[in-house]
Amino acid sequence: MSENNSTQQQADGLDNRRDFLAKFASTVFAGMVMGGAAVKAEEAKRPLQLPTRLPGGPIQAELEYEDVLVQMQRELEAALQKGRTPKWVMVIDTRKCVGCHACTIACAVENKLPPGVVYRPVIEEQIGEYPNVSWRFTPRPCMQCDKPPCVPVCPVGATWKSEDGIVDIDYNACIGCRYCLTACPYQARTSDFGDHWTDGTPGQGKMPYEELPMFEYGKEWKREDHKSPVGNARKCHFCRHRLQHGLLPQCVTSCIGRATFFGDANDPNSLVSQLIHKPNATRLKEELGTEPRVYYLV
Amino acid sequence: MKGIQRRDLLKLGVLGGGAALLGKEAAEALQAKAASVPGSYPLQEAENTLYSVCLQCNTGCPIKVKLYQGVAAKIDGNPITPWTMYPHLPYKTDLKGMAHVDGSLCPKGQSGIQSVYDPYRIRKVLKRAGPRGSGKWVEIPFEQAIQEIVEGGQTFASIGDNRNYPGLKDYWALRDPKVMKAMSKAVDAIWAEKDKTKKKALVEQFKLDFKDYLDTLIDPDHPDLGPKNNQVVFSWGRLKGGRTDFFKWFFDASFGTVNLHGHTTVCQGSLYFTGKAMSEQLDYDEKKGKFDWTGGKKFYWQGDLSGAEFAIFVGSNVYEGGYGPPLRVNRITQAVTEGKLRFVVIDPRAQKAVAHAARWIAPKPGTDAAIAMGMIRWILEQGRYDAKYLSAANKAAAVAAGEPTWSNAAWLVKLDDKGFPAKLLRASDLGLPPLNKAIKEGTAEFDAPIALVKGVPTRIDPQSEETPVVGDLFVDTTLAGLRVKSVLQLIREEAGKESLEGWAKIAGIQPEDIAWLAFEFTSHGKRAAIDIHRGVSQHTNGFYNVLAWYTLGALIGSHDWQGGLVQTSTYDALGEKAEGPFFFKELHPKKLSPFGISIIRHGIKYENTTLFEGYPAKRPWYYNASDVYQEVLPSAAQGYPYPVKILFHYMGSPAYALPAGHTQIQAMLDPDKIGLIVASDIVVGETYAYADYVFPDLSYLERWEFHGSHPNVIWKTQSLRQPTIPPIPETVKVFGEEIPLSMEAMLMALAEKMGMPGFGEQGFAGGMPFKRPEDFYLKMVANLAYGEAKDGSKAVPEADDAELELFAKARRHLPKSVFDPEAWKAAVGEAHWRRVVYVMNRGGRFEDFKKAFAEDGTVAHKYGKQVNLYLEKQAGAKDAMTGRHYYPIAAYFPAYLDATGQPIADAQQGYELNLITHRIITMTKSRTVSNYWLLNVQPENFIAVPTEDAKRLGLRDGQQVKVVSMSNPEGVWELGNGQKKPMIGKVKVVPGLRPGSVAFSLGYGHWGYGATDVMINGKVVPGDPRRATGIHANAAMRVDPVLKDVTLSDLTGGSAVFYDTKVRLEPVG
Repeated sequence: MSENNSTQQQADGLDNRRDFLAKFASTVFAGMVMGGAAVKAEEAKRPLQLPTRLPGGPIQAELEYEDVLVQMQRELEAALQKGRTPKWVMVIDTRKCVGCHACTIACAVENKLPPGVVYRPVIEEQIGEYPNVSWRFTPRPCMQCDKPPCVPVCPVGATWKSEDGIVDIDYNACIGCRYCLTACPYQARTSDFGDHWTDGTPGQGKMPYEELPMFEYGKEWKREDHKSPVGNARKCHFCRHRLQHGLLPQCVTSCIGRATFFGDANDPNSLVSQLIHKPNATRLKEELGTEPRVYYLV
Repeated sequence: MKGIQRRDLLKLGVLGGGAALLGKEAAEALQAKAASVPGSYPLQEAENTLYSVCLQCNTGCPIKVKLYQGVAAKIDGNPITPWTMYPHLPYKTDLKGMAHVDGSLCPKGQSGIQSVYDPYRIRKVLKRAGPRGSGKWVEIPFEQAIQEIVEGGQTFASIGDNRNYPGLKDYWALRDPKVMKAMSKAVDAIWAEKDKTKKKALVEQFKLDFKDYLDTLIDPDHPDLGPKNNQVVFSWGRLKGGRTDFFKWFFDASFGTVNLHGHTTVCQGSLYFTGKAMSEQLDYDEKKGKFDWTGGKKFYWQGDLSGAEFAIFVGSNVYEGGYGPPLRVNRITQAVTEGKLRFVVIDPRAQKAVAHAARWIAPKPGTDAAIAMGMIRWILEQGRYDAKYLSAANKAAAVAAGEPTWSNAAWLVKLDDKGFPAKLLRASDLGLPPLNKAIKEGTAEFDAPIALVKGVPTRIDPQSEETPVVGDLFVDTTLAGLRVKSVLQLIREEAGKESLEGWAKIAGIQPEDIAWLAFEFTSHGKRAAIDIHRGVSQHTNGFYNVLAWYTLGALIGSHDWQGGLVQTSTYDALGEKAEGPFFFKELHPKKLSPFGISIIRHGIKYENTTLFEGYPAKRPWYYNASDVYQEVLPSAAQGYPYPVKILFHYMGSPAYALPAGHTQIQAMLDPDKIGLIVASDIVVGETYAYADYVFPDLSYLERWEFHGSHPNVIWKTQSLRQPTIPPIPETVKVFGEEIPLSMEAMLMALAEKMGMPGFGEQGFAGGMPFKRPEDFYLKMVANLAYGEAKDGSKAVPEADDAELELFAKARRHLPKSVFDPEAWKAAVGEAHWRRVVYVMNRGGRFEDFKKAFAEDGTVAHKYGKQVNLYLEKQAGAKDAMTGRHYYPIAAYFPAYLDATGQPIADAQQGYELNLITHRIITMTKSRTVSNYWLLNVQPENFIAVPTEDAKRLGLRDGQQVKVVSMSNPEGVWELGNGQKKPMIGKVKVVPGLRPGSVAFSLGYGHWGYGATDVMINGKVVPGDPRRATGIHANAAMRVDPVLKDVTLSDLTGGSAVFYDTKVRLEPVG
């Protein structure tokens, strides 16, 4: 009997998920539906069930695994050693995101992002009605689209799709026209207006950390007035400069919920390859045909 | 098989410094194909990485600081520690491997660089150049500040203030350790004497015995106030190991004041002090020379998430606070996604964790104990408790039952004539002989407590490992004419005072919620975790809320089991366990043992003192608590029990952080009340704006500390905070050495000026010098490296030559005032140096992953002792305000009481909304507003109003409202000198808040810490309006109507009350 019940539950769950996915894939970004179902407070009437579980005991069995961060870094190194171009993909498990914004900050510090520039915001919303309330957290990096709307609009060819999947920007070529900002349906690009965090304070925008170089695209960029990347369009590049050294993007390493996965989609055995082929994997604004390289697990 | 492959790969890959493995051919192939070639990226090199500990909050995640030309460029998690990886990499991981892997870290940890390179940091000593709180300062030379503090006098004459300020040397009154010890013993005798006349006679005798020293006393007629040394008070906000020991070395051992008070009660005091009461052991007390309750430790338990199947988070903001988002959140998200864990959030507010919770239960604030009592009732009625655990009445019985701990659930308690469970039944009550117990020297008689064993009264030796006592659980009988009940019987009756419906009604939840919680909680064996935090403890009934929830934990006997209640475990750095190599306890050359009633009147019975004059006392006495933060300044200002002459305050902000913080400001305004205020911090915040001198301190990236750990970390650890960047404050000279200006520099200079023992050329016993901070801290590192075995068998490995080289290279940017390799080596000696380097290269000492788990399903580092459900020590003491005995078992008491225990009825005056606060993960209470990266995520906070209340009150999103309460009807911060800051914030209408409550998050709405203009050396330093945005409504929190100068407090556990105040929101504009 219990087996029947669970089969039924699974079927129900699947139907719900299909509806859910359909909705998810077709809604515009701001109105996305994702995250867990609302949790009920002060609502009674859940039948008591005897739990199904094995007796407790030592946890030796589960001790053999490693942190998924180490696993992914190992895979990343293996991908670099294969001698062929990897196809980078990012997977964000919205069921594990806790809305902490560590990724947003880690990214900003790593790439020395000035005020007004953000590569990976996390949108948080409280949803439902009391007492059925939950939260929805949506990290939103650049989708590194396979058909990127931002690329063809660039009048000077300063942005392109790389073979490894990343959409790059050449800061030295960028003229700061901001066509690409408008073209991106995910609002993934922002402009660097050359501001500093401590402008208007005794720091005068010259605190030691504000004068540090950043290493985007494998180059050392000093932040000086009117020199690139000041005045340029900027966006997430999966920390390309770190990938080259066998290091994961900083949004991945900083994630305290282990909600962000990264790896090579060309390797069928990689963690990300397994995840993106699960039925709960979806992409933002699928209907636009941009073919994002960022997947969401819902 | 997979595991083996993985391990092999681990060896070769990440840990081996994988980038190096990128073969030449592969690299070339990549270059050909990839969009760009590998470029310069110096941040991840081992030679540019130093390991330390975060202090953006008190979780203390071990970090790696990535340096670029001497500047901290990026901070990530240290991957060999359980905070940032699960499982973490082994301790023996080499430095290249460590550098190559980043552990995760929360957003505050990520943004710490902006706390350190804050443009508002001070570099030189600031001296007040106007009245306290005027915002006017002058920078003065370090030596001048030291001179003025030591000598006192008319030091503020230049601003027209001709007061004679106290000098520190005059309050270093009693300097003879022998006399102090003798006085202390005499005072103990006075306190122990119950007879009034005899007590008086003892006081007279004291005056005779110490007639040559009476001028060193605060008041010879009240010798128990102690020496004048006690009129110097040291209080602090965030202080961790190492610095604690250093500062105690100065204030306690060298200067001899009893007044060293931390801030625990502003955080979760009652949680700690209930833990202390529950951990007292009935054992031989050497000091008292008899068997008594002893050894209770200030600590608490948290739920272990490494193995929990079910977890209840009560007033515990697990995704955003509570010591552990980086180390706990990934356990939860993983286990919930895999279906291994279900958890419940009990909180009036839908905190972020409800996103993944099985159920969110939103009780009325302050009713947490009612839920626990309801669950206890249901569990006892249904028989779903662990009878085997509970009936084990002593250690031997616990061992026989396979339990690491035991309780006193089966012990018998005597009821007095009013039915109060006043005392344990003892052998002597039944005419049974005492037990003869072996003690250090010989044997001692022990009037043992009693349990019924199958109906037969049986003496219990709690600590016996040979004679198990398995007691009857529910006893209600008369023995030798005495009414007795078992502890569990008392708890059952207490829980039976209300029906399930009754408990649910009190908490404002459904009875089914309680039954469901109780059922689930008792359906997972030991693997059901209770995790409680400040939401439970910061009420007037905090102590009993905590006791009720911890009693629940004992019903399933989950202590020390994986997935149950666990405690913290840290490596000793003071050489206590191994009694060396640097045994700090014996290193002070002339150690004083301070005595007397503390300024916060803690740890002592009011009735026993010479100050006793009936009830209520002038102010509360805290028998069960210490570190009662809210009492320090108001008590000092009132002069009860005695006036305070000099207050040293370090890295705290009572004015900003405490409820009704404006009362703390009032206490500081008048130099005639608190003679001199000397502060040390990195930035002048809301509190030190009222100091006379502010000494710049080193930030967490520039200084030494041993951060320690928290109960939810089941691994044994000790993390080391160490200098990672050149110091920002100026360099000063102390004992002929150049060192950075810091709290240490200030204390060492004061010691040098006064000629205090314990510092300088012969600072340590045996003639070792103590002339630099490292002389102290590195000896602690050496202890940590040596390990806890006398024979050195637990020592860490020695650093090899390559590690030594990297050690120096990674510190090449540090000036000699900080890093002097030869001086460092000299501080510990050649024999210890390589091991010290090994520890420093790894940022501390961390146990390997597997070692925290025992084979039998328990955690390796156990509490392993008795868990008191009946608190005899508390039952035997009285609250100084009410004269009533402390209640000795779990119970529900209504919240929102004044200092005499009377209910506060503000709701009837139209203040109907219950104000609560919380933290968001991007902000701490008082010192992260300088982090613009964090502000960029959420630039301001708001006043959350439940949808239903907003509708009823006609409030809409974004509307400006003022928060007013019965004790602050104007809704302003009174800042002194005629300055006020209104408490106005924006409404945010939210569904996720229990109707009737309003909430704001802490950390915004500053007026100090760079938020407003100050004048230094006659020049205006403009404030940054970004730091002033949002609202900080602590001043609306209820001032105690009896005391009138301090927040409400939990009189039993000491907590400052954050969550009980009733307020009104008044639309403005």
